[in-house]
Amino acid sequence: MNVQVVYCNHQNANLALRERLAFSSDELLVRAYDELRARFPKSEHVVISTCNRVELYTAQEDPADTPTHDDLARFFSDFHQVPVIEFFDDLLECQGPEAVRHLFEVASSIDSMVLGESQIVSQIKAAFQLAMDSSANGPLTNSLFQRAMAVSARVRTDTKLSEGRVSIASVAVGDFGKSIFDRFDDKTVLILGAGEMASETLMYLRDEGVRQIHVCNRRLERAEALAKEFSGQAHPWESRLELLGQADVVVSTTGAERPILTAADFKPIRKKTGPKPVFILDLGAPRDIDSDVSHVDDGIFLYNIDDLEATCNANRKLRAAEIAKAREIIEEETASFMHDIYHKATGPIVKRLREHWHEISRQELELLFRKLPELDDRQREAFEKTIHRVVNKLLHPPLETLRDEARNGPPVGMLNTLKRLFHLRD
Amino acid sequence: MRLENVTVFCFFASYLCALMLELTQFLRQSVTLKWSSLGLTVAGLIAQTIYLVERSRQTDLPPLLGSSHDWLLVSAWLAVVWFLGMKVWDSRLSIGIFVLPLVLVLVVTSRFASSEPNPRVSISYWGSMLHAALWVFGILGVILAMIVSVMYLLQHRRLKHKRAELPALHLLSLERLNRINWWLIVCSVPLLTLGMITGLWMSYLAQSSSAPVSLANSTFVAFSLIWLGMAVLFGWLVVSRKATGRLVAWRTVLACTFLLVTLLAIKFLSVDGIHARELI
Repeated sequence: MNVQVVYCNHQNANLALRERLAFSSDELLVRAYDELRARFPKSEHVVISTCNRVELYTAQEDPADTPTHDDLARFFSDFHQVPVIEFFDDLLECQGPEAVRHLFEVASSIDSMVLGESQIVSQIKAAFQLAMDSSANGPLTNSLFQRAMAVSARVRTDTKLSEGRVSIASVAVGDFGKSIFDRFDDKTVLILGAGEMASETLMYLRDEGVRQIHVCNRRLERAEALAKEFSGQAHPWESRLELLGQADVVVSTTGAERPILTAADFKPIRKKTGPKPVFILDLGAPRDIDSDVSHVDDGIFLYNIDDLEATCNANRKLRAAEIAKAREIIEEETASFMHDIYHKATGPIVKRLREHWHEISRQELELLFRKLPELDDRQREAFEKTIHRVVNKLLHPPLETLRDEARNGPPVGMLNTLKRLFHLRD
Repeated sequence: MRLENVTVFCFFASYLCALMLELTQFLRQSVTLKWSSLGLTVAGLIAQTIYLVERSRQTDLPPLLGSSHDWLLVSAWLAVVWFLGMKVWDSRLSIGIFVLPLVLVLVVTSRFASSEPNPRVSISYWGSMLHAALWVFGILGVILAMIVSVMYLLQHRRLKHKRAELPALHLLSLERLNRINWWLIVCSVPLLTLGMITGLWMSYLAQSSSAPVSLANSTFVAFSLIWLGMAVLFGWLVVSRKATGRLVAWRTVLACTFLLVTLLAIKFLSVDGIHARELI
């Protein structure tokens, strides 16, 4: 059994590269799963693609079926039409316990830009759900992701990692938005895109008192649903430029592959509105808003995901003690998970061994009962119980030794010895 | 302890130490140092109050009318009161590093300014009082506008460069700083204007006294130019609809710096022919 991950995230790859390797829509991911299945039919796959990371988890029953780092890099290259040489050094790889530990860290948001953010949990859940819908998952990835969710919950409960501002949206609104505006109840907010990030950002803005909300989305029905949730107004996508003139806060979270707003779009609008301050949050990956927009005039304050990194690092420093606690939990859970996985690998042999011994004892008991027909049911039952106990007691030491051996890795040598000693066949 | 022993050095040293402690917050955040800084500022304010009261008792005039020395110290005293008021309103606000240096400059300048009582107070006591009060509050407004503008520019720079806020440098939002700046200019320019008018009226009254004032001196021309500069800034601020907050802040800083440098130079070099005794 093997678990493997190849990934690039905000710590090792810049936004431009992440944008090129990202799976920006569910349709794209479904296509990616089809391609992965075709290339690596004996592997289970789960892809996590968010604005901060692109991660591909694979798992195999037989370690010999594990795709190489090169194989997976070639998949990314072919799928996204990006030469391998441009990203290979930024596409990191982990196997076995390191891969498991990495997922647990991601799920516990230790690896997040904003330490302790809760959004990553729902993003992992959604990613795993899509893998299930595409039948890309399997028993190993099922156990791995279920355990990752449990570890994430434990870290949040047992540490103070989730206290205070935690998500990108809250840092953006709390640390930057509130340094620009004194109050939000008289501000107009324009949301471009109607995804989860938009919804989360709106929650923080609503907490700050925002009342005027406009939502623009390519699919009007999604815009209407979001607008209804926050008592805002939904608008067709085409009216976004007109609404920009009214907006004091713009939040863009679309999955567009190219910028949807450029400096050329802003200039005529700013000519009409004057240089009033506008707070723009570009939370899309790839970026939705051209970075030149911030140079149009002094009143435009544009932030994309990478810009929030400095604040996130400051949060990390303040919570360093909590990270240490969380890492202890993750280390313990990783060891426990790997032990379970390795132990699970011994399952078929243990089962066969038990069956084999119990079968022998059953045959011997039948012979005995035939020789002693005067035995009544109570006596027969007593014999059966005694023999059952003897078999279990004899099996206990080798199975315990097998369990201990599984703590450090798959006990391949011991399994082979058992097979040979007791003539167990695959 | 005899209250007459309180000197300018006492509160100067208190404010200087308070400023030093404020600056150490950039190296290491400490609640103890923060409170110590505030304590030293309060101690300095108490010492300064005692000094002004003593001076007033000696000259038998309110501090505003005493001399250029007292007048500068009253400006510094008001700035410290404002600083402490802001600290009470929001204790996280990093305002000491902006206000205390200006307070120190005013205190140092007062050391070199004339401490002789103004002889023309007797011409019209209440007129002199009004004239001095209008100028002090006008100048205070200008000082505060400059401080607020510097804060605006720093905050603007941080936000444009997308940097996280330093724990030792917590500032108000741009929106609020811009609003405060606008109100400070809008209030201080009329005060300075009224101060000019009352000054002219006082000069007119002095023509028939034993100490007449000539308006054809360089100080009056310098004050008039300063006032004109501030009035232009005021007019532009009220009329302009396309001015960004950053532009307003820059122009405020430039205008206020010009005003303060000129004013302090006049006091420092004791060439104030209108208010000083020696040039009569």
